[in-house]
Amino acid sequence: MSSIPSASEIDEEAADWAARVDAHGLDVEHDPELQAWLRGDARRAGAFLRAQAAISFLDRGRALASVTPPVETIVAERPNRRALLAGLGGSVAAALAGGVGFWSLRPRRLDTALGEIRRVPLADGSLVAINTQTSLDVAMKAKSRRIVLKQGEAWFQVAKDPKRPFVVAAGVARIRAVGTAFSVRRGDEPGAGVDVMVTEGVVETWIEGDESSRRRVSAGSRVILVGTASPVVAETPSEIERSLAWRNGEIALDGESLEQAAKLFNRYNSRQIVIEDPVLARERFVGLFQTNEPESFAAAVAATLGAVVADDAQAIRISRAHSS
Amino acid sequence: MKQSRAEIVAFVGGQILPHEADVRAWLRRTGSASADIDDVIQETYCRLAALDSVAHIASGRAYFFRTARNIAIEKIRRARIVRIDCVTEIDALNVVDDEPSPERVVAGRRELGRVQQLIEGLPERCRQIFTLRRIHGLSQKEIAARLGVTENVVETQSARGLRLILRALSEATTQDQPAVGKTHELHPVRKRD
Repeated sequence: MSSIPSASEIDEEAADWAARVDAHGLDVEHDPELQAWLRGDARRAGAFLRAQAAISFLDRGRALASVTPPVETIVAERPNRRALLAGLGGSVAAALAGGVGFWSLRPRRLDTALGEIRRVPLADGSLVAINTQTSLDVAMKAKSRRIVLKQGEAWFQVAKDPKRPFVVAAGVARIRAVGTAFSVRRGDEPGAGVDVMVTEGVVETWIEGDESSRRRVSAGSRVILVGTASPVVAETPSEIERSLAWRNGEIALDGESLEQAAKLFNRYNSRQIVIEDPVLARERFVGLFQTNEPESFAAAVAATLGAVVADDAQAIRISRAHSS
Repeated sequence: MKQSRAEIVAFVGGQILPHEADVRAWLRRTGSASADIDDVIQETYCRLAALDSVAHIASGRAYFFRTARNIAIEKIRRARIVRIDCVTEIDALNVVDDEPSPERVVAGRRELGRVQQLIEGLPERCRQIFTLRRIHGLSQKEIAARLGVTENVVETQSARGLRLILRALSEATTQDQPAVGKTHELHPVRKRD
């Protein structure tokens, strides 16, 4: 070909390459043929990324068929204490051991009401995003930064300061970070556990009074602290971002059942969503919504699944359409 | 921190690609020719491909609009004859950076239907293979065995399906979403050779 290929011609070649990579599991960075093709024209890298992205976009359709991807569960292993201490460094370990006494003086209380989501900068340069119906105390001290999550959920972007460990306490669960970002959620029911998701860096989690429960959780992982045997679950970054969509006032559904989705909306609104049909409640759904717009969710369910919505001041009831 | 290729692909698939039709529609409204639009879109993906990490991009939609706008303006500046109205149009339209939330809700809500429509709009053989691969997660080998064809056929059909879907993604808008087949009748695509 002597003429300059058009964008759409490059798109077609890129589609062939993306399909080939998908079929054979080629290593994009090291496949010599693919790399040679990419180098041949600066525009090819963009077209190839787009084609691969389209495959990834289509994979979201897997939720439609109610085939949920398997969640990889890593069996909790007892961390090697010596390796852990070596990794922590002596000074931090000492701060951990001696820090308890500083944590009691006049903390700052931060609360959110039903449906309220706040972002609050902290005195040390950290940022906290606070989800609906949450209550937490912040105590900034010379040698420690201590947050007590009394109820609800918050995401912390922690400013780096190795001399002042940043520790979140949620019941008996503890999460410690130096410079990283993570979220902590206390379950509503008693004994529900504390859900920790790490978006950047590494945190250390443990159960108060149980040294053997210490473990490190790195970015892209999630741990539910219920006891010493809390499993660490590997999540994809996009999955964690999705779980934290509330920071932008959004609920991102990707194959959740309607029952689970209703629960999510009901955390934010006094008008509760009620799914009246048990079969309908198990249907799975994909979509992006505002936390304070349960009506849009109900309307989308009605349109997609042919359900009927009955609205009143207290509740939004979704039921199956009767085929008469 | 460098992200893996898979992470970047997942981000582009989830946060960029779904907005492509809107960005194209917006570029069309500014009066750009369709070949130029193709180039602007491709260049936007090229810039994404050059990134080590996309972690800093808070909103894929806003990023897409902003980058496409910058590229469009650069293109106009490089062109020898400058259409003033084109520049002002594009400059004036930077409001799309702040995405209106209802529009986003609609886009998200339709995503489910869109994936379904895209796959359903494929020719029969393609659709069958695509469904087995993407929805049921079968390998190329398993699909070949199940349909009694060679792996080569499966691969060719997969590539063909992907081409059609990529075209459909650039043609359908979130306002009106014609089925894939229909789109092709309305916009005949130039055949190679």
